[in-house]
Amino acid sequence: MTRSVAGLKYAWPAAPGLAVLLLLFVAVCGSQATEPPRPPLALGAAESRYPEVFPAATAFGPAEGTPPAAAAYREGTLVGYVFASKQVVASSGFSGKPLNILAGVDLDGRITGAVILEHKEPILVIGVSDRDLAAFVVQYRGLDIRDPVRVSRRPGRAEGRVDAVVGATISSVVFSDVILRAARAVARSRGLLGVKQALLDFESFAPTDWRALGAEGSLVSLRIAVGDAAAALERSGGRLYGRAVALPDPNATFLELHTGLATPARVGRNLLGGRLYNRLMGGLADGDQLLFVAGRGLYSFKGTAYVRGGVFDRIQLVQGERTIRFAKDDHFRVEKLALEGAPELRELAVFVLRQSSGFSAVQPWRLEVLAAGEADDGRAIFASFARPYSLPAIYLRAAEGAGTEAAAIPLWQDIWRERWLDVTILVLGLLALTAILVFQDFVERQQPFYEALRIGFLAFTLVWLGWVVGAQLSVVNVLTFSDAIMTKFHWDFFLLDPMLFILWSYVAVAMLFWGRGVFCGWLCPFGALQELTNRLAQRFGVPQWRLPFGLHERLWPVKYILFLAIFAVFLGDQRLALIGAEVEPFKTAVVLKFDRPWPFVLYALGLVLAGLFVKRAFCRYLCPLGAALAIPARLRMFEWLKRRWQCGTPCQQCALSCPVQAIHPEGRINPNECIHCLRCQVNYYDDQLCPPVIERRKRRERRQGARQTAAAGEGAA
Amino acid sequence: MKPIDRASGNGRGRRVTRRRVLTLIGATASLPLIAGRASRGDPPVFEWRGQALGAEAQLLLAHPRQTAARRAAARCVAEIARLERVFSLFDPASELSRLNRDGCLATPSHDLRILLAEAQRFGALSNGAFDVTVQPLWRLYAGHFADPRHDSEGPSETQVAAARALVDYRGIDLAQGRIAFRRPGMAVTLNGIAQGYITDRAADLLRESGFDNVLVQLGETRALGRPAPDRPWRVTLPDPQGGTGATAGLDLVNQAVAASRGAAARFDPTGHHHHLFDPATGASAGRVLAVTVIAGRATAADALATALAVAAPDVAETILNGVGPARALVVLPDGSKRRLGNWV
Repeated sequence: MTRSVAGLKYAWPAAPGLAVLLLLFVAVCGSQATEPPRPPLALGAAESRYPEVFPAATAFGPAEGTPPAAAAYREGTLVGYVFASKQVVASSGFSGKPLNILAGVDLDGRITGAVILEHKEPILVIGVSDRDLAAFVVQYRGLDIRDPVRVSRRPGRAEGRVDAVVGATISSVVFSDVILRAARAVARSRGLLGVKQALLDFESFAPTDWRALGAEGSLVSLRIAVGDAAAALERSGGRLYGRAVALPDPNATFLELHTGLATPARVGRNLLGGRLYNRLMGGLADGDQLLFVAGRGLYSFKGTAYVRGGVFDRIQLVQGERTIRFAKDDHFRVEKLALEGAPELRELAVFVLRQSSGFSAVQPWRLEVLAAGEADDGRAIFASFARPYSLPAIYLRAAEGAGTEAAAIPLWQDIWRERWLDVTILVLGLLALTAILVFQDFVERQQPFYEALRIGFLAFTLVWLGWVVGAQLSVVNVLTFSDAIMTKFHWDFFLLDPMLFILWSYVAVAMLFWGRGVFCGWLCPFGALQELTNRLAQRFGVPQWRLPFGLHERLWPVKYILFLAIFAVFLGDQRLALIGAEVEPFKTAVVLKFDRPWPFVLYALGLVLAGLFVKRAFCRYLCPLGAALAIPARLRMFEWLKRRWQCGTPCQQCALSCPVQAIHPEGRINPNECIHCLRCQVNYYDDQLCPPVIERRKRRERRQGARQTAAAGEGAA
Repeated sequence: MKPIDRASGNGRGRRVTRRRVLTLIGATASLPLIAGRASRGDPPVFEWRGQALGAEAQLLLAHPRQTAARRAAARCVAEIARLERVFSLFDPASELSRLNRDGCLATPSHDLRILLAEAQRFGALSNGAFDVTVQPLWRLYAGHFADPRHDSEGPSETQVAAARALVDYRGIDLAQGRIAFRRPGMAVTLNGIAQGYITDRAADLLRESGFDNVLVQLGETRALGRPAPDRPWRVTLPDPQGGTGATAGLDLVNQAVAASRGAAARFDPTGHHHHLFDPATGASAGRVLAVTVIAGRATAADALATALAVAAPDVAETILNGVGPARALVVLPDGSKRRLGNWV
């Protein structure tokens, strides 16, 4: 076996490096071992946890009825129900394993709380603490089960009402689906939803007039006569002040108030006209509503305090436990009503009721107006008048049809539709990769083009696929897939994450065609991270260490042993195996973008650091996923990588430039180790590097030179 | 399977009930859901029991339709919770807490403005005997007696004088849509009036929903109509001396009743120092043992009960007459009783 001197020179410093790596790994494992053990998630404990999900209740009945749910009582009065999702709906997690969430729903159809009793989501085992899960489910408290709930991957996105557990979007979506489906089933069976189960129909429009809007209850009005206001103030020991005092007629209008929800096109468009209505609607965020308020009479419902104070002081809206004030910024002055038959109203306004105020269009509310007066000694005296409103039934659409229709669409289709852009980008990326691989000869001959393509694709893999989308395949996928095959297999579970599904499908096919290298070399974000950082390091002159082939070869099996160990443990103790799968720094470095407890970050950074000196150190020796792919990749059906008879004997050019030292000194490429980066194939055509090609070039040049000399000679002759 | 009972109390960390003087008598109270009917033909009485303002609370709705009664009670409970969020001294996010902390509130709810205006009205009516700005005195006394090495005579005169200088209901500025204290350091407690106000709001809400025969007990009591055509609502007054014996029944129709007793929340074992402060002296009021007031609305009854417990007995009649038809039973320290208005 021939060995280069340079190889020897760098071999020895590599050993301490590896030792540091192993120490780090041990440190990480050690720190995990000292973490307090998780409390077992026992199903039998469900009853004792009822108060957690229904804090307002003081007593609970047994779980009974169809579907089973326990009645929750407060001081002897029924206030809602508590249920375990497993007993109500088909409840399984993203892993396909049973999932059981305890939740409560009150008589108004709001969720009172939720706790996860049981789950086996692999992604959630490490790095996502029970606290994160609790923080996720606590977001459901107070949510109205009639409203659609969106789980948002990126916190702060406008349409998302619930933030997913970071790095576990799909599990979060599944949890959300289970909570809501179960809550709706319980609420429906107990008749809680009643008329409120309806969906809102705010789109239907037909021209109408003022009188009709009043008659159907879309607008309600309140008239306070001067006498009424004076009497109310007098009861509190005061009297009217200002203009009204001088007015002799107690029947004169103190305030005539008209109000109603203006979000329905039937109300808003008719009142305000198409242009203003559209402009106001266009300014609304999801869940915001428009409220119309108009008045005439001696008393202004707007007052003047809002100009300085920013909030209207004479009106407030009360809905359930909420007191909603109207802010100046949410106030739009309306000049004139577009509606026929409308009275001359002195003050016209549209207010935006923000979703953050908690206002619900479906629940009844009342508008309160405060009349101010004074006592003999000048003290302020107030009297309050209220006008209740409830949404007319014409804006409610029976939910039966729509509800069942929505339920019939499997969750995964929803997710695919929602992520169509990500799916498109990924498919285009994979098509590009396929083109590179199929037309590899063309690519390999254009060396600068290859370099740009390679770096570009790795950047795409790392930044978009890894950090933006979080699509990093993991040995955990292998474990859950094999587990699904062994137990019960549903495509649905794998379809829930479109990115992982497409990637795995592609990798599976590519494995048969090219081997495992297509994933490792091109589609693994962590691989890309190592390779890109290594290239950067080389540019800054960081020395590269080549392990002596004998040692290198003997370190290969480590990853196979790791994989087999993890797999073996998985058959016995899944949770332990998932802890073992943390050998992969993928979750830390890619999915969670290094936002994890420091031992994990240290470990991942240590691997990246090692990769600066030893190209793809992790891929070579430790990656259990690489091992898991290498084994079935032995079924590879085609040979794409070209060799010459001089390879290995004596030429070692490719073996030296192979980033993972997958080329044996005798010239054979080891497909188990190859990452299919095409580096050796670029060399293959390089007439400055590959000795046989150099030879050919020189011969050609000599011939040309001879011909030219001959031609010159002839010319001279 | 037995219902799982949780320890009672909703853990909001409230002080002991300020006063819990009235309880309901009769078989009606012992049945959990439908409080029963006295005779055939009477409407059933729906009962809701819970916690409000740190005290036991009860709504009784005489109505033929129990589901409607349940829904109306639920609306009331929401309204109570809403108002607690405005008036609570113990919720640091309540409007009252923010007012006390900042000395002003730029965008108060109508409810706080109305109630503070009512408080000023009763302050003026009682010539300052009822004053919601006694909170600095409460803080002083509570802090003093919480110290294990406290002087049993109470805080020093200079301390009391300093706290008393901050007590003046007229120092609350309610004009211009905002609320502000005219002197820094002032603070308000609505414990002498908020329960009455919430009781009234709950009763008004029920009446607006078409429930004309209702008994609302949220610390104070307000009766609308009667449970059956031939009977008034009947509540009991426990012994003003604090014993368990001798309770007197009280019939109510469209009336509110409130009671006040210094001994309900005392700082020291003798009861010499308690929560009913006389703003004029800065010390706990000692001229009266207990007061019960019947008035048209619970807000008035509540404020008057506090005012009469503090004010000099000779002005009690004048104070009472200031709000229209009201009557009171005042128990003096020697156990003798004075009847004001036309108390029978």
